[in-house]
Amino acid sequence: MPETTTQFTSLLPNDVLARVERMRLNPLRRKTNHSRGEHLSGKGGTSTEFADYRDYSPGDDVRYVDWNIFARINHPYLKLYKHEEEMHVVLLVDASRSMQFEGKFELARQLAAAFGVMGLFNVERVSAYSCSEQSADPLILPPCTGRSSLRRLLTFLEELPGGGEFPIEAAIEEALKRHRGRGAVVLLSDFLTLGDMTRSFNLLHSAGLEIFALQILSPTELDPELTGDLRFVDSETNQTLDVSSVGELLGLYHEHREALSNHLAALCRKRQGRFLTVSSEEDVKSVLFDRLLRRGWVR
Amino acid sequence: MSWLPGITTPLAAWLFALLVPLVVFYFLKLRRPRMEIPSLALWRSVIEDQRVNSPFQKFKRNLLLLLQMACLCLLVLAAMQPFVRGGAEQATYLPILIDNSASMAATDAEGRSRLDVAKDEVRDIIDNLLSDQRLTLISVSDSAQRMTEFTDNRRVLLDALDAIQVADVPSRPEEGLQLAQALARTFEISTVRFYSDGNLPTRPDGAGKPMAVVDFDLPFDLQFHKLDEPAANIGITAFNARKSGQDRWDVFVRIEGSTAGQTAAQVELSANGEPVGSPESVVLEAGQSQRLVFRYDSADAASLTVRLQPDGTDSLAADNLAHLELPISRPLSVYCPSELVSYRHSLEVLSDIELSPGSDAESGGDPGVVTPGLGAMYDLVISDQAHDRNLEASTSFITGLVPEDVQSLMTVEEGLAEVIDWQRDNRLLQHVQFADMDITEMPTLADGVEEAEFEQLGYEILAHGNTGPLILQRREGPNLSFHLLFHTDRSTLPYRVGFPVLISNLVALAREQANLSDVRGAPTGVLPSMVLKPEREYRVTGPNESSATQSSNAEGVLKGIAAREVGTYAIREGSQIVQQIGASLLDATETSLHGVDEIHFRELTIDATTEAATTDRPLWPWLAFAAFGVLLGEWWLYLRRPGGVPA
Repeated sequence: MPETTTQFTSLLPNDVLARVERMRLNPLRRKTNHSRGEHLSGKGGTSTEFADYRDYSPGDDVRYVDWNIFARINHPYLKLYKHEEEMHVVLLVDASRSMQFEGKFELARQLAAAFGVMGLFNVERVSAYSCSEQSADPLILPPCTGRSSLRRLLTFLEELPGGGEFPIEAAIEEALKRHRGRGAVVLLSDFLTLGDMTRSFNLLHSAGLEIFALQILSPTELDPELTGDLRFVDSETNQTLDVSSVGELLGLYHEHREALSNHLAALCRKRQGRFLTVSSEEDVKSVLFDRLLRRGWVR
Repeated sequence: MSWLPGITTPLAAWLFALLVPLVVFYFLKLRRPRMEIPSLALWRSVIEDQRVNSPFQKFKRNLLLLLQMACLCLLVLAAMQPFVRGGAEQATYLPILIDNSASMAATDAEGRSRLDVAKDEVRDIIDNLLSDQRLTLISVSDSAQRMTEFTDNRRVLLDALDAIQVADVPSRPEEGLQLAQALARTFEISTVRFYSDGNLPTRPDGAGKPMAVVDFDLPFDLQFHKLDEPAANIGITAFNARKSGQDRWDVFVRIEGSTAGQTAAQVELSANGEPVGSPESVVLEAGQSQRLVFRYDSADAASLTVRLQPDGTDSLAADNLAHLELPISRPLSVYCPSELVSYRHSLEVLSDIELSPGSDAESGGDPGVVTPGLGAMYDLVISDQAHDRNLEASTSFITGLVPEDVQSLMTVEEGLAEVIDWQRDNRLLQHVQFADMDITEMPTLADGVEEAEFEQLGYEILAHGNTGPLILQRREGPNLSFHLLFHTDRSTLPYRVGFPVLISNLVALAREQANLSDVRGAPTGVLPSMVLKPEREYRVTGPNESSATQSSNAEGVLKGIAAREVGTYAIREGSQIVQQIGASLLDATETSLHGVDEIHFRELTIDATTEAATTDRPLWPWLAFAAFGVLLGEWWLYLRRPGGVPA
């Protein structure tokens, strides 16, 4: 009789979950909150990890004077320690109808769960936003910390509804209205929008959030195999576009798709962010433990 | 402007109206499938970029439509059946005469006969036949045969063309032209095309050059396409035998070469399959001929065959074989009443004659036990008795009696007649002088009777008197008869030097009629008449196992047997062969292979052209092919995969 193992969550297999628990997000910048956390700030702090020495100045806390050195050279030096501050990890999952194709939304939720688990297990504040219907308020997971919040996070992501026509740039603005705190934002979307992402990324940057943008595209979007004359129907707006000789335009389509990815990557790079395009048919293990790990998104 | 293509079916241009629904349906995109995609964002930018950046965007966007329109236009143009005008004027009804006489079997250096070359040219015309054109094929040799009705059915025409075979007979284009003339009464025929090697019956012109003259009034335009002359040829043009003594024949063979070059051959004569003498070698310069004489001793009937074994080039095979049937050697049986003393005197001095009645045995016209030729009781009957006219004879000479069918045209009056004119070249009257001859009977034409009326009855006037005809000749089937309308005993003729000459000529003619002195090889075309059993059905088997059934008439004459090929023809009654006869080409014109460059008709002369006729060439197959190519291109364009798709 085969051994059956109860899955902790439907989003991630137990082995992936176990490995993710030992990983942590690796931001380029140290955008942390003043509240104590496990992210070392650039400033001196009160952690146990030694950072440097400096000359004693009147008024300094004499508890940090290195008395051994004072005894040998009769000059007071102050010991400095690294400061550990809390980082806020914001998960923004695009749940609009455009994500409901070929497993894009499922991969987005899996990756969101993975990043959330990393945050919770590294004593960081994790909050999540999901936008679908433009007329309705976004679904929000309020900031939470600690391993005790793991179930809340996973339940929130498991029960995320799909559909709607919320564009990602509007979803970012809507989320920022409700968000407080510095840290990192993980954007999980296809970024197929008619709007401009520049303003959205500017807002995120000015809000002190380092951008981790993951563009999830379906195989049909990455390498369409289309011929003839077609009438395309937008899944979100139901608008139509008649295209003749689609096969002839596929080369141009690939140029535009790559141009969009390059444009988004450039926007992120200018704001010390990161950008990566993944296919929805890729396995979450491959994305997490291979591509993201090798690119230094996580460690 | 002749370079503009013609249109056969201009009404098909209405089909261009189909372009309207084509464009409408294209833009309505009735069959454009809907496809839901996550977002139009990328495709919108793609379309906008395409519109902005591509100078030929509109063209490229509608390239499929343009290709479809091009395909439709090509198909409509094909339906209009345009054609490139050839040099020849287009004719709706076009009879094509194809010479299939013996010389058309002559081969060129590549082994192709001239009939094959002609067929190729006609096949080209059939292949490029326009929809409103109708052809009829007529094969022309010594007779004309219409192979098809006027039709545009290519299969029928090609089958009929393949069925045309060379006949080993001389050419007579009049037959085909008359057939075309008859067709012109029913159909609107403006042009007739004649494919021939130009090897037509000729006669010398003023300068002695051969000139083809056709006694025919052309009611249409004749296009004479002459085929190239083939290589050299050598052949037998005459084969006959003459009796040179008791049971002895001199056999004459004439060998002629064409004008194309030197020819050589071995000539072999055989009798009943056994060689006669040794083969003779003949070498002829271009256009030369040579007569060979063989001696053959036999009293029995024999079938002679002369065969030519060419050394080197020989274009025509049909003239390398000739046949000759020698009769049984016997004396000429002559009946002459005892009262005609002058005739009997003249006959008795001639050799190899069996004269009846004999001086002591017969007295009143009993034919006795003679075996005359052609089934007649006598070979020659000379008489002045009315009842003797009923004697069967291949040659008869009646004097002093007017034939019954001529009696209404003339009377014999008392008076003195004289000979005004006579045919000096007639075989009977050769070297006979009638001048100053006195005749005490006066054959006189009835009032209002013209001499032409004698001709209508089948008589030929050999001598004219001052009041009417004096001597008549009539050929009736195989029999030849002469009628002296005055009695020779009432003239000075028996006392003249010309009388024994006249009798000698008569005997010579009778010998020829009975095939006792001169025998000629039977030419192809129609076999000579034969006397067999009356009213019997005979089966005639030809050289190539061809078979036909023919019946003899009440007199037992079997005639009109077609002999289109050189070889031996067997006449069978049931399964038994009753007679065999060989037919040979024996035509100097056909052997020479000389082709004339012009044909002289009664009122005009037609020049030959050696170039192949440039016919109207239909363009619809090319247009249909182009439409198919465009369709394939459109399909490929519609389905083609993009290049350089990133992985």
